[in-house]
Amino acid sequence: MTNQDTNIPGVSKEEFLQSVRESLGRDNTPPAQPYQRLLETTADLESQAAEIRQRVQENLPALLDKLADMAQKGGWNVFRAAGGEEAIGYIETLARNQEAARAVRSGQEVFDQIPVDDALRGLGLTITPIIQNNATPRRALREVIRRADIGITGADYALAETGSIIVLPRRGLSRLVSLVPPVHVALVRPEEVLETLDDLFLLRRLEYHQRGGEMGSYLNFITGPSRTADIEMTIVEGVHGPKEVHMVLLG
Amino acid sequence: MAEIKTKNFSAASAQAMLDPKLRRALDRVASGFDVARQDRIEEVTPEVWEQWRQQARDIKIHTIEHLDYYLDLLHANVTAAGGHLHFAKDADQANEIVAHIVRTRNVKIATKSKSMVSEELDLNPVLEALGVDVYETDLGEYIIQLANETPSHLVAPALHKSKEDVAELFTEKLGIPYDEDIFHMAATARTVLRDKFMEADLGISGANFVVAETGTLVIITNEGNGRLCTSAPRIHIGITGMEKVIPSMQDLSTFLRLLPRSATGQRITSYVSMTTGPRRADDEDGPEEFHLILVDNGRSAMLADPALREALYCIRCGACLNICPVYQRIGGHAYGWVYPGPIGAVITPMLVGLKNAKELPQASSLCGACREVCPIKIDIPRMLLDLRKKTAESPDDSQRSAPESERMVARVYAWVMSRPSLVKFGHQTGRTLQGLLQFSPITPMTKDGRWYRKLPLPIVSKWTRGRDLPALPRKTFHELWEQGIADGPPTDATDSH
Repeated sequence: MTNQDTNIPGVSKEEFLQSVRESLGRDNTPPAQPYQRLLETTADLESQAAEIRQRVQENLPALLDKLADMAQKGGWNVFRAAGGEEAIGYIETLARNQEAARAVRSGQEVFDQIPVDDALRGLGLTITPIIQNNATPRRALREVIRRADIGITGADYALAETGSIIVLPRRGLSRLVSLVPPVHVALVRPEEVLETLDDLFLLRRLEYHQRGGEMGSYLNFITGPSRTADIEMTIVEGVHGPKEVHMVLLG
Repeated sequence: MAEIKTKNFSAASAQAMLDPKLRRALDRVASGFDVARQDRIEEVTPEVWEQWRQQARDIKIHTIEHLDYYLDLLHANVTAAGGHLHFAKDADQANEIVAHIVRTRNVKIATKSKSMVSEELDLNPVLEALGVDVYETDLGEYIIQLANETPSHLVAPALHKSKEDVAELFTEKLGIPYDEDIFHMAATARTVLRDKFMEADLGISGANFVVAETGTLVIITNEGNGRLCTSAPRIHIGITGMEKVIPSMQDLSTFLRLLPRSATGQRITSYVSMTTGPRRADDEDGPEEFHLILVDNGRSAMLADPALREALYCIRCGACLNICPVYQRIGGHAYGWVYPGPIGAVITPMLVGLKNAKELPQASSLCGACREVCPIKIDIPRMLLDLRKKTAESPDDSQRSAPESERMVARVYAWVMSRPSLVKFGHQTGRTLQGLLQFSPITPMTKDGRWYRKLPLPIVSKWTRGRDLPALPRKTFHELWEQGIADGPPTDATDSH
């Protein structure tokens, strides 16, 4: 806490916890039955993670089908690409249909495998990789994102149970790329696919342990377009986030 | 704290029932949210749904029973992630903490994503008084902020407004031509608020869950405004009730399965956004400061009362509102405070004081639908009965709802009913008088003689204003029993004229 907060209002933690204990009618005693999940060690989590990876490996074709199905139900336009070329072809068609002039993309590693930049430039679009460096101030990058017609990102994980992609704070990834432009394209590779919510949270907890208690500043699920039903329960897509979302699933 | 209008419940609900526009709006919610909710349960099978509910309930029971332990753990992990955790005993303290941050960080513009707790605190006027421009960014919240109203539903705050209302509001407040196309109106909100997101110094969010294990704040949204509020401004403040803590990140699996399905019938919402501390040095974006304010504001009274403690398990999905025959008729505003519907009828008296909200526990037919749909299996009818008991028997006179005369009648009734010979005599006399009534030219009875339409007697006249009173039967149960009712049920003929 900084100096300016020495006199911050509110009550101290001790005072607050004491009043909670009084309400519960007992002293400061930890749970008699410890919470099982919080006792798990890194080794416990590692062995569970190994099981998860094995299960995903063994069921990959079925999981990809499930992911595509659930993503579609969740509002994604799903395109299953046999390879990088097909994926790029899909994005080109999309850019043409949208009559897009400007695209932004994250600086994730997936773009080394699927080089969309040249293809889109070939169509006459400008494409800006959003990578923070001292030369480009944050505000300027934000303006580029704001003006973009399409935002393209990868995914850290894709979840078959919910049809979601998961994005984590990796270098070269601004959250705004998947949120601000009216069209979002997410590239998903088979190695990013997980089966259930439990799988995802277990892997996150493992990483938290491995990194000595560092969770990363955010974890976002994205499932379909931005939507609202706040006026007369009528569903409107694209209120603050994208109106149209595409999942390009490799494999 | 938000203005308390709970004492006006009877008049407000009577008025709401006469509003045809509100009726149409409430019908839309019932057919929209609850039908979709049921579809989702069928999809995963009721057996699996039941397992999830039990898991969630077990997690909540454990956490609330050890709330001090998990708050301590949460504090350690929010701090370790570089965030600040603040504790507020009441609304004033919570508002002062926000005011302090606003003043010391020179905040000019704030964007808010939906937060029922901030409604409870009535935070916006506090910010405005400090010269901050505050923008609600959830479309429903934005509409009611422009209209200077309060939410009428936990999930769909502006459901009471028709599209014509919103179009008029936008014309009046934003100076745009009247256009009642819902898609155009949503686009207008997008355009207006987009600038604000980018200019804001401060983003304020609520929290659906906070995870003790990692110090993580979780919000579940559909519009994307929550993501913008928590990633674009340089400061993020999360404000929530102290009961929102859960032990492990892995517990989220269960809650993420239950909450969207129960709230809107979605398998999952468009966005689930989890924040742990401020942006790290390597991050491309995110706030420089992360604050989390945990609010008590009367919750410890619920915690201290074993009969009402389970109200703290609520995850604010709104399923009990969507199914409730009372909410269905009167809507959210009649309840007179922030939390409407069956769960509101329990929480509100505890947070604003039972003496200020004695009528709310009566706002239920005790049909049990709320308990059936609750994803955490909260026994709302039981708690409503407990509160009713308190309004009848509380040693604190200000909490009792019945006047002395009514309690006197109840005592006399109890005295008579415990004396069989008196009851018998009363029945006989009553039946004789009732027989005479049928020959009277102006009879208060229905034609078949089975109901009283209207009785002028002061005690029962109130009863018959809203419903019919059954007439005394020709034979009492005792008499039927003696005649051999045990041989078979009485047919309608034995009781007809």
